[in-house]
Amino acid sequence: MQAQSVLSQRSLALRIFIFVILLVLSVPFVFPFLWMLLGSVKSINELLDVRQFFPTTIRWSNFREAIEYQPFLRHYANSIYIAVTVTTGTIFVASLSGYAFARLRFAGRSTLFILLLSGLMMPVEVAIIPNFFFMRDLGLTNTHWPLLLIPVFGARGVMATFIMRTYFVSMPGELEEAARLDGLGPFGIFWRIMLPLSGPALGSVAILTFLHTWNNFLEPLVYINDVRLFTIPLSLNNFTDGFNIPAWHLQLAATTMAVVPMISVYVVAQRHITNAMAMSGLKG
Amino acid sequence: MRKLFVLIVLFAVAVAGIHAGGNQETNDQGDPGSIDLRFTLWSANAAHLEMLNGFADAYREENPNVTVTFETLPFSEYTSLLTLQLAGSNPPDGGWLLEGTGPTFVQSGVLADVRPYLESLPDYDYADFSPDAMSLWVEGDRTFAIPFSTSPFVIFYNRDLFREAGARTPQELIASGDYTWTTFGESLRTVTSETGVYGFQGQNGQPYSSRIWHTLVPFLRAYGVDAWDDNGPNFDTPEAIAAASLYHQLIFDDETIVPPGERSDFFAGSAASTINQISRVPTVMEAGFDWDIAPLPGGPAGPAHVIGQAAMGVFNASRNREAAIDFLAFMTNQANVETMAQFFPPARQSVLEAGALAQQNPNISPESIVYVEEGIQFGTVLPAHPRFPQLDLSAQGAFDQLWQPDADVPQVMRSINETLSSFF
Amino acid sequence: MPRHRALQPDHLWGYLFITPQLIGFVLFVAMPLMNLVLFSLQDYSLLGNSRTFVGLSNYIEAFGNDPLFAKTFRNTLVFTAGLVPVNIILALLLAVMLDQRFRGNLVFRTVFFVPVVTSAVAWSLVWRSILQGQNGALNQLLAIVNIVGPNWLRDETWAMISVIIVRVFQNVGMNMILFLTALANIPVEYREASSIDGATRGQTFFRITVPLLAPTMLMVLMITVIGSLRVFDHILLLTAGGPNHSTMVLVYYVYYTAFRSFQPGYASVGALVLFVTSLVLTLLQWSARKRIASVEV
Repeated sequence: MQAQSVLSQRSLALRIFIFVILLVLSVPFVFPFLWMLLGSVKSINELLDVRQFFPTTIRWSNFREAIEYQPFLRHYANSIYIAVTVTTGTIFVASLSGYAFARLRFAGRSTLFILLLSGLMMPVEVAIIPNFFFMRDLGLTNTHWPLLLIPVFGARGVMATFIMRTYFVSMPGELEEAARLDGLGPFGIFWRIMLPLSGPALGSVAILTFLHTWNNFLEPLVYINDVRLFTIPLSLNNFTDGFNIPAWHLQLAATTMAVVPMISVYVVAQRHITNAMAMSGLKG
Repeated sequence: MRKLFVLIVLFAVAVAGIHAGGNQETNDQGDPGSIDLRFTLWSANAAHLEMLNGFADAYREENPNVTVTFETLPFSEYTSLLTLQLAGSNPPDGGWLLEGTGPTFVQSGVLADVRPYLESLPDYDYADFSPDAMSLWVEGDRTFAIPFSTSPFVIFYNRDLFREAGARTPQELIASGDYTWTTFGESLRTVTSETGVYGFQGQNGQPYSSRIWHTLVPFLRAYGVDAWDDNGPNFDTPEAIAAASLYHQLIFDDETIVPPGERSDFFAGSAASTINQISRVPTVMEAGFDWDIAPLPGGPAGPAHVIGQAAMGVFNASRNREAAIDFLAFMTNQANVETMAQFFPPARQSVLEAGALAQQNPNISPESIVYVEEGIQFGTVLPAHPRFPQLDLSAQGAFDQLWQPDADVPQVMRSINETLSSFF
Repeated sequence: MPRHRALQPDHLWGYLFITPQLIGFVLFVAMPLMNLVLFSLQDYSLLGNSRTFVGLSNYIEAFGNDPLFAKTFRNTLVFTAGLVPVNIILALLLAVMLDQRFRGNLVFRTVFFVPVVTSAVAWSLVWRSILQGQNGALNQLLAIVNIVGPNWLRDETWAMISVIIVRVFQNVGMNMILFLTALANIPVEYREASSIDGATRGQTFFRITVPLLAPTMLMVLMITVIGSLRVFDHILLLTAGGPNHSTMVLVYYVYYTAFRSFQPGYASVGALVLFVTSLVLTLLQWSARKRIASVEV
């Protein structure tokens, strides 16, 4: 009994200690968001005035001005449609080939798979120069096509294929056999039986692809220069040009509009998102 | 799960469809005779764009099949974005060009020769452009761009802050016959010590990155040297070292110039003066304080004048080159150059001589507009270079050594000079 | 009979299923790599759109003559060597603490992970605002306790440290989750057995937990190393490679040289160096994982 209570006292003390440490450590993680939220409703003068931590009046108009400063809503729509299209495309391409590499038997399967995996060793940053000129020769720079095609079919998609294959490999074979007996062809088995059962893997691929596409910066920066075609990361970086009034307050307002929905989605779907991230790490 | 998948696909297709529709709307080329011209520029100022779009509308009245759009690219990335567009699949038809990159563009062969067409127009009067103003854009008997803005740099200052601090204004210094960076620097120090506000901000708050020259060259010329000439950079000369020492002292010892890494905005009242051109008058009009302009301070070498120039050219890559050149001719004709004088001091001598600058700028006092006219008359354009983009990037890196509080200025200037001499 | 049927190869369907991916692979992975090698042998002018074959002179210039190239490579190593230990130690520390049960645990997990799902652009822009010179929020906070903070992003030494720390804060949640997953998979009995033996917490941690975490540790190490070799967004937005190129790293150098300084041929050498470096590291990772995986079973 005595030992028990000493132990629990020690453990309580330890917990409080841990709690305090975590509290201190969380400051640099929370403060930027606080700074962003406060700055997003300040006037430019207040933002530049070091004595003003809190805004004196809350300027909701910053959000409207940010939208008017450049076609921010259009950038939002661009980002959403690109992220959704890339995600859908990746799911389709990766689950098809992931399934083939896992369950279909064809000559050269493992050689081709290893070849494909070598794509993982070629980060997009390496290929950006030749891909730019390739896209230019196709007449596709300054359009959204490079942002749609390269992630789905290039090295990023290989990662998704890898995740899908790992999942399909782990599925029991009886289902397929039963389906074959029912007269389903390989595509039927894939589409009607296996794909509907691969929810967790599809979810992971979807979450990872969406997040990556949504946050992608280098490729839009290189391929896009028409402001109407901007995605959100480009848009956020476009609020501080010197010839205009440097609109740091509007930049923070726009950043808030870009970040808050993502965080809300994360908080709601937290478990799925962290699982997906953990899975990508474990598999990749 | 499958239903969800199908739903997602449908959604994607729908969104993509909507978007594609939106694109078609903007790129509508249904009518075979219609021509869309696109000109790039680096200003997003509403007043500038209103004026330019006014030209586009007026042009459309005469040429109903031609639509002109102006596309703003951020200044700090302007040359690279324009180059990428030109290297890409959908090049613009024309665009603004910055003085420093004049030789870069002229020598690269991407610009169309506009002289034959302009000289063929009876009312255009090509000879009206002063040869000095044209020098960057002419090679032999070919002309690759028309300068629409030959705008001297001036000091903008916040009279309220100078008054509050009891600091001597540039006008007072001029009256006393001693208006140099040294005496102006004393005023700036007074402003800072009395009001707690920075005395001076480099141009557009970017003097340590994409706008090094706009603030540095005025210092250098006041001491009698330019940043570079045909023989190489001049940063290791005693004059340049003296100029840089004063600049450095005002930033780091006197702490009156906004230092690197610090945000500040003259137009928001957080710096008492800055260096800029009259194209920024619409911005300062909205600032809500009493302001005026003054000439650049002088130095041991007497008064200094620096001109920033912007020209408009047409690209060979344009699919509608003739139409683009015709619009260029329209935009730079007598009447429109006069209109532009409200922001962009003209290179047309007839317009200057007719006093258009004063007429078009009612917000600048007649005494002050004289400074602008003198600047045009006595000034020379900022230095240019055939490899300006590379030189500029290289210089931004090299000058970082100078923007340190404990920099050994003479040594740093010599090191910068060595780095940049590889361009000559 | 059905068994026999199932064993029949599905050649046609197999190829059909992988065709989209393979075409993409050829167009966007294999071909670019070949082109990259070709570009690196050319002097390519973006504005004039002209190319000339120059042999190995880009390589000679980069490896022999160009101080910026050498500096970039050095900076990339410094960045990686600085970021990796800080990131992993912090991630492990957070994971071990959050592996305990206490109220608010989930809130803390969320707090540390949220930056991972935030875009690097947003994160960097906000930090750039915080890390200004004397007027920045951080230095204003330090001023309260009478510390004069440095000019974080404009000082040659501090700029690199600042970028590393900002990136650690953004990404550490990812590694934390990987460690937490691994810790959750360690059977409770192991640790209980050890504590009954009279081992202190510290001993339990180093004798039991650390060895069991080794596979995860190795994987986290590799991911983090390769990730830091690829850093771009944070560099561009926080320092743009400055001051005086002190934060110029490989990917930013490639971008800067190809698309800002318009020498895509010369930049290709940098891209190839990046490729070779990450290739070597990926191969190391794969072989190491195979070894550990076999030990694990």
